[in-house]
Amino acid sequence: MAEYELDCMGEACPLPLMKAEKKIKDLASGDVLIVHIDHSCAMKNVPEWARSQGHNVEVDEVDDGEWDVIIEKA
Amino acid sequence: MAETANAPVRRSIPRTTTRKKKKSQLPIAMIVLLLMIAAGILLSAFKDSSTGMFLMFGGVFGFILQKSRFCFTASLRDPCITGSTSLTKAVLVAFALTTIGFTAIKYNAFASGQAIPGMSYVQPISLATVAGGVMFGVGMVIAGGCASGTLMRVGEGFHMQVLALVFFVIGSLWGAKDMGWWNLNVIADSPRVFLPDVFGWLGAVVIQLLIIGCLYVAADLWERKKLGIKDEE
Repeated sequence: MAEYELDCMGEACPLPLMKAEKKIKDLASGDVLIVHIDHSCAMKNVPEWARSQGHNVEVDEVDDGEWDVIIEKA
Repeated sequence: MAETANAPVRRSIPRTTTRKKKKSQLPIAMIVLLLMIAAGILLSAFKDSSTGMFLMFGGVFGFILQKSRFCFTASLRDPCITGSTSLTKAVLVAFALTTIGFTAIKYNAFASGQAIPGMSYVQPISLATVAGGVMFGVGMVIAGGCASGTLMRVGEGFHMQVLALVFFVIGSLWGAKDMGWWNLNVIADSPRVFLPDVFGWLGAVVIQLLIIGCLYVAADLWERKKLGIKDEE
């Protein structure tokens, strides 16, 4: 079960989601993708999108205004 | 499947990074709140009470916008980029509620013989609206926020939105300067339609809510189509 990281720090609204969408295609089922974000919009729309696709999602607030969105591919 | 139980995600590498101790921002929040209350009282005392109320409304709107992550920009951009329409539907719900609310206010004034407030906002429908809409749409997607979103994110501390705010002001001033030209050449000959004049008070509300309802259903179908297809891969 591989773990991939995606650094989206300092990126504006749609970019973290678009990058995550692209990257998740490379993952096999059961792999984990960790997206590092510091934009609060992405903190909402990335998990929402991932859940709508059927993946398990966890959001971890590492610091004030920084989050790790942990997506496990279904 | 749209809904999945949120089972905890198994991680191969356990989290070993130590968390930086977060400094509490609560004292700053208290100070800012007191400053806003003081500003509200001073405005009410030295200007008039409605200015103080505007400050309160503004602060409350900003708080709600920030906590709910409501975003007008995302409502129009996401259907094109990711296919998600949850914010589009939220904006439509907001429109429906304000339609009912404003009709109530206007009808109340009309029925009691007073001047109807807000009639200056019944603007002619013309190509100026289209041009402005296209420009604003492009701008807001690039800037990452519309008017309310930009102000809200300036409050959150995003540097990009501070830059957007500067150009927001410049753009508004430029628009105000050119408004004369637009008025003369594009807007003056365009019709000014106030729906209750055409359909009656009840008719206007019903028709507007019906249109909003149809848009809501369309947004829902769009999302199912755009996101649903991926589930079947």
